[in-house]
Order: sequence, then structure tokens, then C-alpha cells
Amino acid sequence: MIPLTYYLLLAGALFTIGAYGIMTLSNGIRLLMCIELMLNSANMNLIAFSTHINDASGQVFALFSIALAAAEAAVGFAIILMIYRWRAEIDIENMNLLRW
Amino acid sequence: MTGYTPLLPEGILIGVAALVILVGLFIEKKKILGYFTLIGLLASLGLTISSWNITTAYTGAPFYGAIVVDPFAQIFNMMFLFVGILVCIAALDAYGDHKNQDEFYALMLLAIVGMMTVALSKDLVALFIGFELASISTYAMAGFDKHDPKSIEAAMKYFLIGGLSSSLMVFGMSYLYGLTGSTNIDTIAAVFAENTALIGTPAILLAMVMLIAGFGFKMAFVPFHMWAPDTYEGAPSIVSSLLAAGSKKMGFAAAFRVFIIGLIAMKLDWYIAFVILAVVTMTVGNVLAVVQKSVKRMLAYSSVAHAGYIAIVFAIVAYPYASADATGLAVAGGILHAFSHAIGKAGAFIAVGAVTYMLMSKNAVDGDPNHIDNYDGLGRRAPLTALLMTIMLLSLAGIPPTFGFTSKWYLFLSAIKGGLLWLAVICVLNSALSVYYYAKVIMRMYWGEPKGDAFIEPPMYLFAMTIAVIALIALFFVPDGVYYWADAAAHALLGV
Repeated sequence: MIPLTYYLLLAGALFTIGAYGIMTLSNGIRLLMCIELMLNSANMNLIAFSTHINDASGQVFALFSIALAAAEAAVGFAIILMIYRWRAEIDIENMNLLRW
Repeated sequence: MTGYTPLLPEGILIGVAALVILVGLFIEKKKILGYFTLIGLLASLGLTISSWNITTAYTGAPFYGAIVVDPFAQIFNMMFLFVGILVCIAALDAYGDHKNQDEFYALMLLAIVGMMTVALSKDLVALFIGFELASISTYAMAGFDKHDPKSIEAAMKYFLIGGLSSSLMVFGMSYLYGLTGSTNIDTIAAVFAENTALIGTPAILLAMVMLIAGFGFKMAFVPFHMWAPDTYEGAPSIVSSLLAAGSKKMGFAAAFRVFIIGLIAMKLDWYIAFVILAVVTMTVGNVLAVVQKSVKRMLAYSSVAHAGYIAIVFAIVAYPYASADATGLAVAGGILHAFSHAIGKAGAFIAVGAVTYMLMSKNAVDGDPNHIDNYDGLGRRAPLTALLMTIMLLSLAGIPPTFGFTSKWYLFLSAIKGGLLWLAVICVLNSALSVYYYAKVIMRMYWGEPKGDAFIEPPMYLFAMTIAVIALIALFFVPDGVYYWADAAAHALLGV
């Protein structure tokens, strides 16, 4: 059996990649993917812990979290679509109407 | 009441939301749905107030103890419903002839249900679901004016930061679950109280930092506040009022439950974090509010500053030398201040919305309708709006005779009683600074030169503002009821 630490390290790595992407990227879809990556790393943690301590509630949490991530992505894509209709691009670097 | 009956207020809102969205498909004159929503909210508020002191924690807790109805949850629910009623009344004018207004009402109801779920939850899963329900609904609401570039930009920024905050939060929760083997907040607290070897380990510190960041984004604490002014400025004014008054208080409800119940054993670790966050948040919020040219953005920064005031509750509760009296008073004061800020800020954003509405109806806008120049002489152009807005700004500044003074008094008094005199001094100094920018708006409204004729003031906006102002003044003169309620909530939260 793979030790728990490996799962946690992998989840931590995925989370870090997601966080790094949020800070550096500017394309709306990529940002959305980074958020998904971070959410899914948390799900991975939950499932790994759940198996490790032999308790099902972590898996239930992960299921809820997956469903909510899907709902969030749906709204996110709707917002990105609005941006595309407005500017014909989804680069959020250029969204600077609201400053300070 | 037993079983699931205490959850009737939430049930009503879900039912009304489903009906509104369904009926909205078939009818043309959708304004009637707004009145229907209002009736649902009023019914829910009535039920919440009539059952304010029930506790289902130990007997017949619904959803296996994941949801608990106690005075703490009920006072936050009352707050959310009150804000919802104000927003709904204002929406009757703002979106009275919008072709998609049914969606606005349904989203608003669902957002309020989400916030109420957070206040009710004693389980990380339920808390996360409520948090996301409120967040996802408000992302869509922030972008409701979909032809306004600012609204779209606000929605995008809010969505990205909201997604980031929920992933941080769920990551922190996953570690909490892994360390304690439970998602129930009471069980988590029990495990930490029993197993003191866990306290201060890197894993629990990581979980705590993640949770502080995740909730901190929602509450707009200072290193995490960058989205708030942008979103509050760009989103439609009545949505900003729901965000500032509802969504932010939801963050506090969640943080109160998770930190003050679940992680109380680690209080020495988060004491220092919350002290620094509170002081930095109120100072940066106030200083940046002073330099704003847009009234709406000024209100957004003042909302950041108010988050700093409420955050001192965590510091007092965690302060090792604070007496039980002081911590109880701190939580009660924090809840009262959250309430007074919710009414005042919701009303003030609605007033800003009314001014924008009046300017738009005259096509008298060049540039930003929220710019302070447009408020010149508002006392003569729109006397009622100006008067009501003045009272709400005074309440936010904490000047009697308004509820804002009462709540600040209790909050700062608890800091003094708890032995954190220096923190109280910083709060009072910050309050004094905040008077400057509120007074600036009031001065411009009454002593500025009006730049046009009188407006026709929109009746529903006025009605919403009047309710807020009556509540603010009435609660100053008769604070007993709400004070006892807040006190009971503090006892329910602290378990003493």
C-alpha cells in the first residue's frame, strides 16, 4: 500500500501548481483550470485521509466538493463568455476599469 | 419544535426560489414575483424571530448534528434575512422592468439560504456547501448588469478570488479532517482538547493558515482584500449591499464557528494572527477610504475597515488573560457590530444605488455616476435620500443616536474589559479617522453647489432606506431585545 505521505505530497504539489498558476497566468480559462486543480488537490487529500483513517465521511465531503466545483465552473464559464462577448478576448490582464 | 421544523425558514426560501424561477418562465409581468419574494422573506424572518431562543444541539438535531439551530445561528439568519428584505425592496425599483428579474430574485434567495446554512452548520461539509451556495449565487449576481463592462469585470474578479478562497478553505478543512478523523466541529474541538500533542504541529498550523486565508478572503481582511473594493464598486449597487452586508457576515459566522468552537485549543496560535490582521485591516481600510473619489469605493474600503473592528473579537476571545465575562461581551459585541454594519452598509449601498438610478433617469451622467462630485448639493436635489444616507453614514461612523454607536461601544468596551486596552485605543483612533470620510460625503451633500434640478426620488429605494434608518435609530433607543439575543448567541457559541 502506498503510504499516506505520498498522497499528501502529490496533493500539495498540485495545490502549489494551481496557486502558482493563479498568480502568474492571465487567460481566463487557464485560471479556471488552476482553481479546479487546487480544489481537486484538496479532494485528493480528503480521500487519502479517509482511506487512511478508515472513515467514510471524507469521501462524502469529496463528492460534495466535486459537485460544487462543477457548479462553480459552470458559473465561471458563463462569466468568461460574457467577457468574450464584450471584448472578443478573455485575457484578464486587460481588465483594468476598476483600480484603487 | 422537533426534527426538521426549526429549518422551516430556510425551507420557505428554497420553495419560493424554485417557484419564482419556474413561474418566471411563463409570465410577462415579472414584478409580481418580487413582491412574492418579499412575502417569502418576511415569513422567514417572522419565523426566525419567533423561534430565536430554540436550541436543537442535543435533542433531535437535524441532519445528524451537521445543522444546529441555536441563538447564534438565529441572530445571523435574522441579519441575512433583514438585508435580503432591504435588497429585495430596492430591487423592485432597480430591476422593476428588467426582463430577467425573476433570476435576480431566485439567485438572491438562494444566496441567502447559503448564508443561513453557514450560520446553522456545525459540520465542515455543511459549512462548505452553504459557503459555496452563497458564493456561486453571488458570482452570478455581481455580473447581473451584463452590458456594463464594470459589472462583468467585478464578477470576474469576484469569481477568481472566490474560487481561490474556497479551494484554500477546503484544503485547510481536509487537513483538519485528516488530523481529527471527523468533520463535526464539536468533535474536532473534543479531539484537540484530548490530544494536546497535536497542538502546534506543522500540519495543524498549515490547516489553520489555509482556513484563515480562506475565510479572510470572504471577510476581506487586508492582505486578502484586493477583490472587495473592485467588486463592490463594479457590481450593481444593490448586489454590493448584499455582498458587503450578507456575504461578509457569512464569513464571520463561519470563522466564529470554526475558530472559536473547533480550534479553540489552538487559540494561542491564532491569537497573534488575528491581532495583526485586525489592526492592519482597520488601518489600511480607513486610510485607503480617505483618498477615494468614488463614494461606492469609499464605502467598500470602509467595509474592509469594519471587518477589522469585528476581527478584534477573535483576539479578545483568544487572549489568555481575558475573563469569561469579557469574551462573552466580545462575541456579543462582535455580533451586534456585524448587525449594525449590515444594516448601515446595506442601506448606504442602496442609497448609492438610488443616486445612480436618479442620475441615469435624467441621463445626467458624464463618467462615473458614483463620483463624489455627483453628490454635490444632493440635500437640495434629493432631500430624503440625502437625509437617510446621512443617518446611515453617521451610524457607520459610530455617532449617536444610531445603533452603530451602541455596537461599537460594546465591542470596544469588551476589548478594554478583556485587558487589551491598546487594541481598543487603536480601534477608537481608527473610528475617529473614519469620521473624516463619512463627514466629507455629508458636507458635499449639504454644502456643495447643486449641479442640476431636483430629482424624482424612486419610492422603493426610499422605502428600503427608511426601514434601515428606522431600525438603526430604534435599536439605539431600545437595544435590550437584540442585546439579550446577541448575549444568548455568545453563550451558545462559547458553550458557557
